[in-house]
Amino acid sequence: MMGRIRVIPRGFAGPGVRFGVPFGALIVALLLGAIILAIAGNDPFEAYSTMFDASLNGWSSITRTLALATPLILTGLAAAVAFQMRVYNIGGEGQLYLGAIAASYVGLALPATTPIVLMLGAMLLAGATAGALWALLAAVPKAYFNADEIITTLMLNFVALSLMNWLIFGSRSFWRDPRRPVPSGKRLPENAVLPSLSGRMHVGIIIAVVAAILLWWLLRKTSWGFQIRTIGDSPRAARYAGMGVRSKTMAVLALSGALAAMAGFSEVSGVTKGLEPVALTSNIGFTGIIIAVVARNNPLGVVPVSVFLAAITTSGSRLQGIGINVQVVLLLQGLIFLTVTAGEFFVMNRISLSPSNVTEAADGTPPSANEIAEATA
Amino acid sequence: MAGESTRLEVRNLTKLFYGVPAIDSVDFDLRGGEIHGLLGENGAGKSTLCSVLSGLYKPDSGTVSLNGHDVAFRSPLDASNHGIGMVYQHFRLVDSFTVAQNIVLGLPKDQRPRSMRQVQSMVRDLAEEFGLHVDPSASIWQLSVGEQQRVEILKQLFRGAKILILDEPTAVLAAQETDRLFEAVSTMVDKGHGVVLVSHKMAETMEYTDRITVLRRGKNAGSIETRDTTPTQVARMMFGDSNAAERTTFDTAHEIGEPVLSLSGVSVMGDHGLHAVDDASFVVRRGQVVGVAGVAGNGQRELQEAIAGLRPLVGGSITIADTDCTNAGPKATMRAGLAYVPEDRLGVGLAPGLPLEHNIALKSYDRAPYSRRGVLSEGEIEKTMNQLVEDFDVRGNRPGMRVSLMSGGNLQKAILARELNEDHEVLLAAAPTRGLDMAAAEAIRSHIVDERSDQRGVLVFSEDLDEIVHMSDVIIVMFKGHIVGSFERDELDLDLIGLLMTGSGVTRQDTVVSDEVPTDS
Repeated sequence: MMGRIRVIPRGFAGPGVRFGVPFGALIVALLLGAIILAIAGNDPFEAYSTMFDASLNGWSSITRTLALATPLILTGLAAAVAFQMRVYNIGGEGQLYLGAIAASYVGLALPATTPIVLMLGAMLLAGATAGALWALLAAVPKAYFNADEIITTLMLNFVALSLMNWLIFGSRSFWRDPRRPVPSGKRLPENAVLPSLSGRMHVGIIIAVVAAILLWWLLRKTSWGFQIRTIGDSPRAARYAGMGVRSKTMAVLALSGALAAMAGFSEVSGVTKGLEPVALTSNIGFTGIIIAVVARNNPLGVVPVSVFLAAITTSGSRLQGIGINVQVVLLLQGLIFLTVTAGEFFVMNRISLSPSNVTEAADGTPPSANEIAEATA
Repeated sequence: MAGESTRLEVRNLTKLFYGVPAIDSVDFDLRGGEIHGLLGENGAGKSTLCSVLSGLYKPDSGTVSLNGHDVAFRSPLDASNHGIGMVYQHFRLVDSFTVAQNIVLGLPKDQRPRSMRQVQSMVRDLAEEFGLHVDPSASIWQLSVGEQQRVEILKQLFRGAKILILDEPTAVLAAQETDRLFEAVSTMVDKGHGVVLVSHKMAETMEYTDRITVLRRGKNAGSIETRDTTPTQVARMMFGDSNAAERTTFDTAHEIGEPVLSLSGVSVMGDHGLHAVDDASFVVRRGQVVGVAGVAGNGQRELQEAIAGLRPLVGGSITIADTDCTNAGPKATMRAGLAYVPEDRLGVGLAPGLPLEHNIALKSYDRAPYSRRGVLSEGEIEKTMNQLVEDFDVRGNRPGMRVSLMSGGNLQKAILARELNEDHEVLLAAAPTRGLDMAAAEAIRSHIVDERSDQRGVLVFSEDLDEIVHMSDVIIVMFKGHIVGSFERDELDLDLIGLLMTGSGVTRQDTVVSDEVPTDS
């Protein structure tokens, strides 16, 4: 019998593995990136130090990075809560647009003199509600007819995008500023704008971090979250334990939609200050999916991953400033992210080169992790 | 058939899984032109033997010879090239492909006819020859289960199989389809093919086979000419002669009280839209262990799920401790007092990817002391877990470790610990000791039987007849979704039970009913 390469699920990863592996992956990514930069005729050291300066070195760089991270945290949370239950909400993008549409409507419709806390609270609530309802368009068919939510949520993105574009470019809607010749959204009154904390960083970052902590608490510490985790691990065990899988599916998708829509509120109120389709369509919803995967659906993990991704993005524009080709920049960003993501595999599994001859179980099913672990212990 | 040379001969075959023999020094032979029945309980080694013959497993020792030459198959394809084909109970077909496509799927290029049209006409000829009628251009999803099975058989014949292994072929078939199958099988046999018929059903084995080999606990319990034997003898070979000493291990002196679980005329549909359980009525009383004997797949799983509220009843009613639980759902059934150890430990009884503490709280996570006002009390959960780990001797847990990494015995103890720790009136345990070592199995059994002394009722399902006999005060026999017999411990007739389990000997009208059934509906 030849020795075989065998992938063995760890089932249990200590903190050394959980933090060591992503860090190691980052180093590997930087080394690979250095090779690409060198081939493209750039100085890797100059490039990396520019990236660091642009994203994390100094207060203004940090605030810029955090401003960019704000909506990513929220869409990352949106994906994480759904994925935790193995419901695949790919519709964060569209839910974000709905959040932006509803929040900006409330911001424009309420009297400009409405107290700021009340105004922002109403906008947040309206946005989150719109996102939740939009997600329910996919959740109800999923819960009752088992319609694949990947397809429905994805398709609803295009509907939401068309709706938002129509409101500004295709009609004289309430949102559109009639005084400007170029189609654009009405400016939000001052009380409907999330106050700046420093530079571009606004109160949205606080909302996002608080949402992350609340969501973590909800999933880890409450009996509701207990059910979500059970359903995510084994729907049959959940049913056996008397949990309502259907109602949880709808609740989780609605919550996911609400969180993605909060990103829409945060962008429209804190950044674009009006419904601006072009500025809002920068794949924030889709990026949240990647963030959730890398953060292993842990709400607290979503925050650093979002900041990391924002840092890579902010530093990208600066790299072009020092004459590095935009394709090389994109390649570098992709490479870093891909490597860190791929590292996940090594957190959950280890590789063994043992010559052991583990055969399949008597009933023809592949051996379980348990059996392999025992056989190779 | 006289004059035919022995085609397949197996000597001293042993196959180990993790050091445990699934089959142990088994001898077996198949002659051309015969149907050879292979019988045995679940876990007796039938599937393992067939998987070795069909090239899926490599034996650890022993020889397989074909027409006098020793062979060692490297793969199912290799076995197929030697003329051995297996038809699995669960079909290996691609739903969206046509019959012809499925038949050539996996064949090396040089063995594949050039055009699909050619395949179709060859399949049509084969189907005609053996009476296995099916449209070669139809897609698999359009076919009935019986037709799909014909495709599987044609697939093997197309590859030139001279020896066909049929793994419980009639389990999925209706009566007429079964007749058609055996017509085709006898055509094959007339042409000199050898057929191994793996079965649980006594009647069809007695009717159609030429010889019978019985496997029991991995060993050959005997090979016998069918015409020289009786169902009783075969049943005895399958299930063994339980000795009386074993039956009285658990004391019988305890008080039998009120009914705590009553089923009246319960009917349940199976996954394929047929009645899996038909008009089942019985009661479990306080202080009583009722054991359900039966070969797997006779409606036990569906009945368990119906009692647990996981499968809707299409008729009849279920009462648990004076609460009507008919179609009440899993939660209400649980709260009415049902503790349930399901057949499927990982995936139903436990959430495999989550840690032990989560699984201990699985059923009462939403009540005190595990949670208060919707917030989990992790300290309380951990305290209970530590207590149960100690009381039930659950080993191998590490903080935060997913339970699926624990051994089967410990998993089962953990489930039982959780279930018995919940408030309950009746325990439903399905295959509680399957796959466990002797010590763990005995520990589980004594926990279950101890329930009697607390004036609770127990309903236990097991494929191991010895175990049922060992534990139960009343034994019920299930066959094809019907309750075909009921015995008090002191009127036990093991031969009759063995026959009833394999669906022969007694018709339904002859069943002994030892408990009156509640009449409310």
